Amino acid sequence: MSLLQVRDLHTHFISRNLDNEIRVAKALNGVSFEVSRGEVLGLVGETGAGKSLTAYSVMDLLKPPAKVVGGTVEFDGRNLRDLEAEDMNKLRGSEIAMVVQNPRSSLDPLTRVGEQLIRVHTAHTDTSESAARARAIEKLGAVGIPAPEQRMRAWPHELSGGMAQRVLIAMALMNEPKLIIADEPTTGLDVTVQAQILDLLRELVVTHNVAAMVITHDLGIVAHYCNRMAVMFAGRIVETGDVETVFDNPSHPYTRTLIASTPERLKEGKQKVLGGGAPPNLYNLPPGCHYVERCRFADESCNKPLSLDQVGDGHFAMCTRLDAVREGWPS
Amino acid sequence: MLMRRLVLAIPLLIGILFFTFMLIRLGGQDPVGLLAGPTATTEEIEIVRAELGLDKPLFTQFWLFLGDVVQGDIGKSWISNRSVTLDILERIPITLELLLWGVALGSVIGVPVGLRAAFRHDKWFDHISRGISLLGFSIPTYFLALLLLFVFFFLLGWSPPGMGRISLLISPPPTVTGSYLIDGLLAGDLEVARSAVAQLILPIIAVAIISAAPIVKHTRAIALEIISSDFVRFARASGLPSEKVSRIVLKNSSTPVTTFIGTELTGLVGSVSLIEFVFAWGGVGQYGLNAIIRGDFAAVQGYVLFLALFSLVVFIIVDLLVLVLEPRAVAE
Ligand SMILES: Nc1ncnc2c1ncn2[C@@H]1O[C@H](COP(=O)(O)OP(=O)(O)O)[C@@H](O)[C@H]1O
Ligand code: SF4
Ligand SMILES: [Mg+2]
Repeated sequence: MSLLQVRDLHTHFISRNLDNEIRVAKALNGVSFEVSRGEVLGLVGETGAGKSLTAYSVMDLLKPPAKVVGGTVEFDGRNLRDLEAEDMNKLRGSEIAMVVQNPRSSLDPLTRVGEQLIRVHTAHTDTSESAARARAIEKLGAVGIPAPEQRMRAWPHELSGGMAQRVLIAMALMNEPKLIIADEPTTGLDVTVQAQILDLLRELVVTHNVAAMVITHDLGIVAHYCNRMAVMFAGRIVETGDVETVFDNPSHPYTRTLIASTPERLKEGKQKVLGGGAPPNLYNLPPGCHYVERCRFADESCNKPLSLDQVGDGHFAMCTRLDAVREGWPS
Repeated sequence: MLMRRLVLAIPLLIGILFFTFMLIRLGGQDPVGLLAGPTATTEEIEIVRAELGLDKPLFTQFWLFLGDVVQGDIGKSWISNRSVTLDILERIPITLELLLWGVALGSVIGVPVGLRAAFRHDKWFDHISRGISLLGFSIPTYFLALLLLFVFFFLLGWSPPGMGRISLLISPPPTVTGSYLIDGLLAGDLEVARSAVAQLILPIIAVAIISAAPIVKHTRAIALEIISSDFVRFARASGLPSEKVSRIVLKNSSTPVTTFIGTELTGLVGSVSLIEFVFAWGGVGQYGLNAIIRGDFAAVQGYVLFLALFSLVVFIIVDLLVLVLEPRAVAE
């Protein structure tokens, strides 16, 4: 039984144009995936695919005009969309913790690192200040920050990007989360630091038995650090499965393009997901497959509604012409 | 940062002095004729001109002038026939009393309104406060001052006439700070203090209104930017209670809001002269305005120098405040 189950999640940006007509940007169009304890799910896709939006929809942290308009988010036996705002807030930062891109600008610039760790803990528990302090020092040590006691007094601007990201991870650990959502946790960090941070995350997933969802546009990160993956395109998961299965037998043309374009550089963990071509217009999406304009296997059947179909053991893809793709792909 | 500001200020001040010096000298008004009187002969005029040093080349005049300024001598006002430095020093507390109370009141109203508007972004409070502050923006200072007098003195009779800083029937307190209110209190003369307050209310409200409008607008913009910052989003993602998140927003707004109010002060010190004029306030602003209208060279110079030095002092104070508020500033 997985810890987090997202089913058919729809998130729209609803606004009015100058003529006062309602305009809807359908950014998430039926996102489904799940994550279990002890595993790392890689959510991968090009920029603008809706990866961050998925995370913030799950966290119920959308800012208007974004709004979840359909689907269910089941976490540890509860439907998060039915939760009262206050209960949801209790969940954030305790049961579900986030690690974000831009760690330096995500720390409160006017509060010392230690205080920030402490207040995340005291906000969610009845712990005393001194116990929280001891815990903060312990967690800073656990994420590999040297001289954690001194670091408690540091200001965010005194930290390097890598250090700040470790602090965010320590902060995530303050309340023993069940799920960690890491949104592009290493974008902007240099390669060695990137590897250290991801190794750390990986290790924590195993030692703490948490579930982790790593959002990235870097297929190399998925290959190196994730157990399962979900490929996202224009607000949908188009393929998901174990990382090895998907890499060995990519089924969706988009996944194939991604993997085919990266074989050797993938090993260096550097290749970015580009895929080529413009993303579809979210205000006017095709009726069936969203990939239709960029797909060389497209025909009329692709304009029918689609579903995530099983193509193997725990391996699903959203494409009506899987057979044609399998046969027609040059090897 | 502070040192750099001070070092940069020196050429800036000289530049301002030079610019106004030339502008006035080339402006066409000849004070010599005015000073010497209408019956003066050509020779008499030339004697006065030589006495004032106005027969020398412009750059020499400026150089001599600069030397005097450094020693605190800006020259003599031909209107008051006194040292401009003394004239201005005497009037600084008078203007400050009005300006500081007014901006303080404007901030006390404007900052919370701006913050609330940001927290209620796009709700009715936001819309209404924006509408009102737009009104405050569009009303000319001079007209606002007159309107206040018209309504509260003439129509309602709630306020004394706008004729100075104290009722004409009461003699001013012995000068200590230069503020009648404070000096009255220091002298233990409640009658004086009461009259000073009564005279202060309307002009202070005028300053408060013209300062509150931009303070609301900028505080709102500053808070909105902070609300949408990465660290506030992350604070929410950490499940901090909303009061804690609000406190983070407030704390991080304090530096930019303080800086903005400082900038406001440096702008208002000029436009407050119109309010002084309407209320016959008799501070530096009115003195400067008068000097400009009547072509009193030295006094205009003194006024401009005062404006520049005032801005400098305000920026230094703001820098010091930022140093207290911001750990980052200390590091730099
Ligand atoms: N205010 C908005 N109105 C309409 N569309 C928006 C708005 N803000 C973001 N989007 C769209 O939402 C999509 C999802 O963005 P995001 O989740 O940040 O992508 P990712 O994290 O995968 O790069 C993007 O395609 C973006 O264009
Ligand atoms: S459904 Fe059609 S357009 Fe979409 S990926 Fe499959 S073949 Fe291509
Ligand atoms: Mg993103």
